[in-house]
Amino acid sequence: MANTSAARFPDPHDFKVPKELEGWEEMYPPQRLFSQDRAEWEKRHFWFQDKIHAPEPLYPLDDIFQEAWQISLSGYTTRVFCIPPAQGIAQRLVGCYMYITPVEPPPPEVIGQKAELFGKRVPFVFQNYNKLWDEWIKKFKKLGGEMESLSIPQDLGNFAPDDQIFPVPRGYTDANVLIESFNSIISLIFRAWQYHFQYLNLAYLAYLMFVDTAKKLFPGIKESTIGKMVAGADVSMFRPEEELCRLSRLAMGQKAVQDILKKDLPAADKIKALQGNDAGRIWLEDLERVKDPWFYVSCGSGWYHYEGSWINKMDVPFSYLKSYIQRLEKGEKIERSLTAISEERDRIVDEYRKLIKSDDDRKSFNDAYNVVRSIYVYAEDHLFWVEHWLHTIWFQKIREFGNVLTKYNVLKKPDDIYLFNRFEVPMLLEDLATAWALGIGAPTRGKYWQEKAAKREKILAAARKWNPVPALGVPPAEVSEPFTIMLWGVTTDTVAEWLKGADVETKDVNQLKGFASSAGIAEGPARVLKLNEDIVKLQPGEILVAPCTNPSWAPVFTNIKGAVTDIGGLTSHAAIVSREYGLPAVTGTGVATSVIKTGDIIKIDGSAGTVTIVKRAKA
Amino acid sequence: MAEKWIYWLRELGTEHNNIVGKKCANLGEMTKAGFHVPPGFALGVDAYDRFMKETVVTDRLLAFLKTFKADANKVADTLKFEAASNEMRKIVESIKMPTDMEETVKNYYAELCKETGKKNLFVATRSAGPASHPGQYETYLNVSGAEDVVQNVIRVWSSTFNARSVIARARLGLPLHYDPIGVAVLTMVDAKAAGVMFTVNPVNGDESKIAIEASFGFGEAVVSGNVTPDRYLIDKITYEIDEKVISDKAAEFAYNPQTKEMEYKELPADMRKLPCLEDREIIELTKIAKKVQDHFGCPQDIEYSISGSLSFPESIFLVQARPESVWGKKKKESVLGKKSGWDLLLEKATTPVKLKIS
Repeated sequence: MANTSAARFPDPHDFKVPKELEGWEEMYPPQRLFSQDRAEWEKRHFWFQDKIHAPEPLYPLDDIFQEAWQISLSGYTTRVFCIPPAQGIAQRLVGCYMYITPVEPPPPEVIGQKAELFGKRVPFVFQNYNKLWDEWIKKFKKLGGEMESLSIPQDLGNFAPDDQIFPVPRGYTDANVLIESFNSIISLIFRAWQYHFQYLNLAYLAYLMFVDTAKKLFPGIKESTIGKMVAGADVSMFRPEEELCRLSRLAMGQKAVQDILKKDLPAADKIKALQGNDAGRIWLEDLERVKDPWFYVSCGSGWYHYEGSWINKMDVPFSYLKSYIQRLEKGEKIERSLTAISEERDRIVDEYRKLIKSDDDRKSFNDAYNVVRSIYVYAEDHLFWVEHWLHTIWFQKIREFGNVLTKYNVLKKPDDIYLFNRFEVPMLLEDLATAWALGIGAPTRGKYWQEKAAKREKILAAARKWNPVPALGVPPAEVSEPFTIMLWGVTTDTVAEWLKGADVETKDVNQLKGFASSAGIAEGPARVLKLNEDIVKLQPGEILVAPCTNPSWAPVFTNIKGAVTDIGGLTSHAAIVSREYGLPAVTGTGVATSVIKTGDIIKIDGSAGTVTIVKRAKA
Repeated sequence: MAEKWIYWLRELGTEHNNIVGKKCANLGEMTKAGFHVPPGFALGVDAYDRFMKETVVTDRLLAFLKTFKADANKVADTLKFEAASNEMRKIVESIKMPTDMEETVKNYYAELCKETGKKNLFVATRSAGPASHPGQYETYLNVSGAEDVVQNVIRVWSSTFNARSVIARARLGLPLHYDPIGVAVLTMVDAKAAGVMFTVNPVNGDESKIAIEASFGFGEAVVSGNVTPDRYLIDKITYEIDEKVISDKAAEFAYNPQTKEMEYKELPADMRKLPCLEDREIIELTKIAKKVQDHFGCPQDIEYSISGSLSFPESIFLVQARPESVWGKKKKESVLGKKSGWDLLLEKATTPVKLKIS
């Protein structure tokens, strides 16, 4: 391991964030920060910015998902399914951005113990996956239902109402319900995130195993081809888009509906207009029927409260409906053909299999393929149910807490609740419950909370303008943690690329390397989207450049020429969707969004994994 | 001895290996299988035999050889062999074909001109030994007119007396005056680009890839190694072009109408680093190569030519196919070692990935 100064990033303990960010630390719980007391351990690790889950500065309450996955992802690897040499992934916040590290390997004797448990537990999961998935989805929907049904009183009233007294006094007030419901929703979100990783580590491990197997047989096989071999066509994450296609087809032939959907009006006005005629009402009924769960899809990644979901930002799905209807009118096909995708997948697997010369190898290949196929669908299914469906419910519920805090002047506006972390929100709720209990005229500390909120909003704004370093600390000699390799794409090459980005002025870089995620070559103007909401600025024919891409962006993939991301391996969303749409994509470049500017003419080669800046836009 | 000594390519198949030589038999096989091969005909080894035996050639060669003494295993004697070779070739090339043979060759050539609709059609006269001796015998390009065709067939025959071949026979203790081969007379493709492709990655034996090399002009530039060709690596299954290495191609092998010779012509600076194949040509070549491999049942080494005057995809011709010699012969051993999917999973779970950070 070269522990030289040339091959390292800044020491996280000496690292200084810009002074505009001063005070950022107090937004987050202390265990989530770098600290002198853990310095020795922290210095031994390699911390890279997690642009998949936290491409943007973290609002304190949005940080809860990160907190939850640190526990869950790590626990499944270290304590439950016991992947022998791997440990968990630790997180630290720096200047409102999140850095993560695969934890150094455990002592040798632990590896042996884990191997034994792994051998006992993991085959069971693979052999019974289909049944286990049925159980999983059942309990997950139940959990979502519980979260949805949590009572969050919006008005505490001057006095407890009669129905809480008669016929039998309930025994607790609505102010207490507020406190309890928040405790419950915290428990539920942590439980949901436990479920999130229930089979994901194993799905990723199986994928990596299959990559190794395929590469041994076919040294030159592309990872994008392997991705095609294992990808499922009929998975939950594609359903929202499929429902839009279906609704668009349904509207065709009903001229009134078609015409309304094509108008340049806000979704709310279109809905009103549709209610005005029979065909429109029937169409709306159909929409209503599929809304839960399929419109519970984030307009972004599902990780940030301000992204919104289709269900509460109907302008988004309605704009997609409009473009689908226009395309249908032109006689274009809007659906992905599931049969074509599955047939192509089977053809590829079949032809590769035919090339295997030894009978033993063919058997091993088939076996390995069956292992990965038996579980891989989880990697695609869980995403919709957790990050989209459940997070949509969570954000709606949290907004209800925000509303009531605003109503009683604890906060200025509902979304300000996200400026407080999950340990602080109970203080705000207790402050409100106390003031209400103390009686009419008793003050809260609203002014204190609101000043804090204003200050934090400023810090986050400064953080958004800051370009955080890609990594901190010393790169490791080896990695055995499956997510580090597969999801974040940490390899020799990516680390080298990050090091390059860390040393070089961005304006001097003209070529980037990343994963060859989806084959093909494209050249065109870049559109750099650092914020999810900027998706609306995307113009047809542009090449999308983003920290990472989001599933609900699928409809824009019919308009762009290609995609480049900072982060993400071959099974990242951008990679999967690009392959589906036959667009070239290079993922995991590390620094694309800081090196490339909107308007630069770039050329991407999705087979070689390169992005070249052909011509810089005029400054 | 077969009565027939001249054949249209479409009459031939691999079963005619010993009758017309491997190259002709293969070209025939490909023609019959529907591959796009330049039209042509082949003279069997019996034609060589007749020429040698029905004319005075054999007597004169034997007379010359009576006084020839040299040791093929002595480097110093190489010069003696070269001198003898010169002499023998002069003898062979000075003698005319038996009249009926000459007439027949001319008739075949006339028929070929008629078929292709070209007067004085340009053809290549290519050697075809019954065993594969790549590059040992000679090939003459851009031959035009019946007289020249006849003369160049004789030149190909006489190439069995080039120094290399004579030394090779001497070392093996074979007769020096007689080594029958076939000759292919093929329509020339006015190649804008040409080259070689392997239906296996020659670097690592990966059979899921096709490797294509290409250079401007005629394929001899690539085969002889005189020009560093462009290299392409294509996935046979997804048809993705995995690698494209465009080389600086200093020259092209082309026909000089003034000298009527093939020669290396320097390429203009703005052309040297241009790719010599279009993507659609690369993909089409890949599809063809796959079919050739399927037809012959083993990895192939294929020479192709792309016509500058015909339109795609009629522009693509195959001019040779033979079994790939390195990987094709290797016995495939198990690389995974009889492991079950579960073994492989456990192996993956217990093996950390090394990062090399310098």
